[in-house]
Amino acid sequence: MFSLGPLAFAAPLALIALITLPILWRLLRATPPPPKRAIFPPLRLLKDAPDDAETPHHAPWWLILFRLLMAAIIIIALARPIWQPDTTESGPRPLLIVMDDGWASAPAWTAMKNEAERRLRRAQAAGHPAALVLTAASSDADEIRLSDAGAVARRLESAEPQAWSPDRASAAERIRVAGETSRLDGSLDIVWLSDGISTTGAEDLARTLSTLGRVDAMTPVPGRNAMALGPPAVTPDGFAINLYRAEASQGVTASLVATGDDGRALARTTLAIDPGIREARAEISLPLDLRNRVTAIRIEEQASAGAVQLTGEAWRRARVGVIDAASEDGQPLLSDLHYVTRALEPYSEVQRDDLDTLLLNDPSVLVMVDAARTDDERVVQFVEDGGLLIRFAGPRLAARGDELLPVELREGGRLFGGAMAWENPQRMAPFSPNSPFAGLTANPDAVISRQVLAEPGSATDDRVWARLDDGTPLVTAARRGRGWIVLYHVTAGPEWSELPLTGLFPRMLRRTLGLAGGAGAPRAQSGRYALESALNGEGRLDAVPPGVQPIPAELWETARASASTPPGLYQLGSEGAALNVMRVGDTLTALPATLGGVRFAAIEAARETRFAGPLLALALILLAIDALVALALAGRLPKLTFSGRSAAALVALGLVIPLAPHVDAQESYRDSFAMEASLEMRFAFVRTGRAAFDTRTEAGMRGLTEAVSGRSAIEPASPMGINIETDEILFFPLIYWPVTNDAAPLSEQAAERVSDYLQSGGLIVFDTQDANLAATRAGAPHPGLARILASVDVPALAPVSADHVLTRTFYLLDNFPGRWTGGPVWVEADPDGAARDGASGVVIGSNDWASAWAVNQSGDALSTVEGGERQREMARRFGVNLAMYALTGNYKADQVHVPALLERLGQ
Amino acid sequence: MATPFTRSGKVSHAASLRQAGERVAMPFPSLVAEAERIAATVAQGVHGRRQRGIGETFWEYRHHRAEDGASAVDWRMSARTQNLFVRENEWEAANTVWMWRDGSASMDWASSKSIPTKRDRAAICLIALASLLTRGGERVAVLGESAAPRSGELGMERVSARLAMGPGSMESVESPRMAKHGQAVIASDFLDPFETWQARLARFSAMQAGGVMLRVIDPSEEDFPYTGRTRFEAPGGGETLLFGRAEEASQAYRARWARHGDAVADLARRANWTLVTHRTDRPATQAVLALHRALSRDV
Repeated sequence: MFSLGPLAFAAPLALIALITLPILWRLLRATPPPPKRAIFPPLRLLKDAPDDAETPHHAPWWLILFRLLMAAIIIIALARPIWQPDTTESGPRPLLIVMDDGWASAPAWTAMKNEAERRLRRAQAAGHPAALVLTAASSDADEIRLSDAGAVARRLESAEPQAWSPDRASAAERIRVAGETSRLDGSLDIVWLSDGISTTGAEDLARTLSTLGRVDAMTPVPGRNAMALGPPAVTPDGFAINLYRAEASQGVTASLVATGDDGRALARTTLAIDPGIREARAEISLPLDLRNRVTAIRIEEQASAGAVQLTGEAWRRARVGVIDAASEDGQPLLSDLHYVTRALEPYSEVQRDDLDTLLLNDPSVLVMVDAARTDDERVVQFVEDGGLLIRFAGPRLAARGDELLPVELREGGRLFGGAMAWENPQRMAPFSPNSPFAGLTANPDAVISRQVLAEPGSATDDRVWARLDDGTPLVTAARRGRGWIVLYHVTAGPEWSELPLTGLFPRMLRRTLGLAGGAGAPRAQSGRYALESALNGEGRLDAVPPGVQPIPAELWETARASASTPPGLYQLGSEGAALNVMRVGDTLTALPATLGGVRFAAIEAARETRFAGPLLALALILLAIDALVALALAGRLPKLTFSGRSAAALVALGLVIPLAPHVDAQESYRDSFAMEASLEMRFAFVRTGRAAFDTRTEAGMRGLTEAVSGRSAIEPASPMGINIETDEILFFPLIYWPVTNDAAPLSEQAAERVSDYLQSGGLIVFDTQDANLAATRAGAPHPGLARILASVDVPALAPVSADHVLTRTFYLLDNFPGRWTGGPVWVEADPDGAARDGASGVVIGSNDWASAWAVNQSGDALSTVEGGERQREMARRFGVNLAMYALTGNYKADQVHVPALLERLGQ
Repeated sequence: MATPFTRSGKVSHAASLRQAGERVAMPFPSLVAEAERIAATVAQGVHGRRQRGIGETFWEYRHHRAEDGASAVDWRMSARTQNLFVRENEWEAANTVWMWRDGSASMDWASSKSIPTKRDRAAICLIALASLLTRGGERVAVLGESAAPRSGELGMERVSARLAMGPGSMESVESPRMAKHGQAVIASDFLDPFETWQARLARFSAMQAGGVMLRVIDPSEEDFPYTGRTRFEAPGGGETLLFGRAEEASQAYRARWARHGDAVADLARRANWTLVTHRTDRPATQAVLALHRALSRDV
């Protein structure tokens, strides 16, 4: 490789071609541009005219320079230039690569592996032996020996990031042993590809390595550092989870997703972490039943075992202990316990037993009805330890309060609506938005007739979850230690209130259960947790790898993910539990840059830039420009310049104008069209695309509009031309559709629109405008009309009968002349069945009505009419009838029966 | 012009055939319209033969002769006197003018888009002239292309079509098939060598025919505005001439052009033809006026 400063050439020999440039210079000078061409008839007279053709006429200097530049660029491109080539040389010593392959390496694994490979390849090229130590993988100390770099590279191929943290201390120990047994001699080139996370053995490892040679430690580039999820914590309306990272020089955005058993996402949130922040908390609100289905939470951007938190069975159905009451007797429908048990059963695992038995099973929720009231020390302890205690009031509580209450109670309770009470029974007030019950609808039917009353001072807003209409608390709750006490101020049975009879009751209890779960499932005290499925290095559940050891139950709380106990789902009997990389209290800290005897650098991708390709592309562009220049010099471009320039401008416009505003413009066009079409009643006509033709049709519609405004109560705005393929036609009561012989068939959407329009009561007047020529078709259908109607759902047609409504909607007519007269006019044969209430949706004729109606701006008729002014007047009358027909439908149909009615009256 | 056969497929073929046809016919009505407009600006009057014969204008009364028959008597005049008179009209028989428009490749060229080709301009001038002549009752024909001279609208129509689109081949001038003592109008650029034209005109002289030569010149041919390295090509391909500096040649060319013009004028004078020279960047009216005046002198 030949290099000039930061520029090097992979094929420097090609540069020799640069010496041909002077030769090219002379050649280009000698080759004039092609002459201008001129056709010249009196060529004969020009023959033998004097011409100083001897004077060499050469190309202009700038063109020569331009072409030389082009040649130089091609030559340089062929020499394959490289900017900032990778010139780090392999040291003269054997190479030891120490590679962190823990979970935190997963995000930067490709870069780390590439770096290791690159170094091994270089060592192989230089013939140096090499060794590879993986800090997380459980490998034998014997494996650490210097061998052929190629073999080491092959071993590197099979290395994968593991699901646990690297054990640097043991790696250091192995290296030390290897060094002592002189499998590694004392002068090595050592590269430590670290994951950038500090662990306990890091210093140890650094010290061990520095005794063996020069150590280069490399950490992932910012942005490739690992992020980890801490254990999720239960909140009343979902859960919260911490996100940790060791390297905080950049802000990142992390998407957290909670998935269920089937891998479907149940919740998703995005967390923007500012530079400098190493720990962020995400609150995810999720209904309890959904939350209980969450099996894993992961950072979507990172595929590593640390970016996953398996929840195992911690969030499965809460275990609810209902304290049995000895005094409850045989009337289940009046029993408090019956109602609360039935309300909780669908959502939780309910156990009804005495307190001793219940506490053995370590429930997460205790339900205490009034009859089972106790202020046992164990219950207090249960709440202090994070349990949820749900209490219901009753006569006993009303008589005397106790310790386990969220608010202070007034003695005696309160009775409404009784014979001796002044007050009426109360109803529930809507839940406040801050309450955990927010979103539930308070049931107005539930009448509360008795309650226990809180002392006004103690029932602060944050403690009151539900109130009655008069503002007295119905449900209060307070924290006690790590747990919660929730008090319903009524009985769990229908004795005091109708609340337990409503569907709201189980829903409220279910919300209340949302506080439970923190206590988790009971931990077995004996036995061993066996791995069911393990997390792999990419954070996916996988088969159990060999060499895994079960975790004794008593060590579970302190167990950490390691090679022998990988993270994953463990099982002990019927109890499942998840072991995660990050346990409670774990954080990530960056590897200190001050480790003794170690030089730090970032693992970077190869920086070298090869730009032979762009150079060649540039040369091609220059070549194209040169062709244009040559053409211009030869005088063949005068026509091309204009079209070329406009074409270029068009291309540029196409590139510059982004799509979105275009779409906006179209949208606003559609809107303005719709506004214009619908704000005022107006007739429409279909544009055929032939300007002269459409102008006449427009004049015709203008004439019709004027005639209708002048003669009837209809005062339409000026007519609109529509493009049947693109415009919405629903707004118009009447559409005049001149059909030409070459009319194109409708597109599917347009046909659908037309059919919809007819179905919804519109009127389309098809006019083939060829009554004068119709005979020449000899009975064949009009080709344009046939094409248009082929795709439109038009019912059977019949000629207009003498007593059709169309003959008497305004004027009494017996024929329908336009410019021509005598062409048959067709309407729907039997429109009674249609949704349009007996009015025909189509009128088909050939009399060229538009021409007869057509007037110019000053109101003068534009075209001649076969039968003179009389016929033009009749055509206008028909137009008025059409407009009336479009707007009133069959309203005038009863006129048809007038003769018969008169006749009957006469009798 | 795209040939009608460049596209395949029956429908497109038929369509392109019609398009091609329309494109060919397109210049024709516009040529005629232009020619009519020009003709309208040129004053013209009816001219008789100044002898009695068949016509519409009164010429003289003469005494009735026995062979005339009763129907020939002009009763109104006869009633005034004792004698019978016969009314005689002036003979207004039409003269025939033979026209020819050069259709060679050199004529189908214009130096810029803003001026018409020499061929079109020649056709316009001749059609305008034909229009004038038919209005005056003369008969017109296209040399070598019309079967017989015709007069009136129909003759005008046919002559116009041939002048606008006819081949205008050289054979028509080299062996003119026209009546003796006929009048001819030859429109060409007269770029062929002087001797060639001399030979051609000799044929006309042999038939005692004379007439007018309309020499159509493109402005570039006269002014020679070319500069720089230029390759001159003959229209219709073939020979080319490369000049390193065209401006060097212009002096010599202009001299030759003037000499050629003199030769053509000389030729006309000797053959007793009238020469009308017309540049295509000038209005066609001038040429038509000159043509009409030249013909009126003879007719």
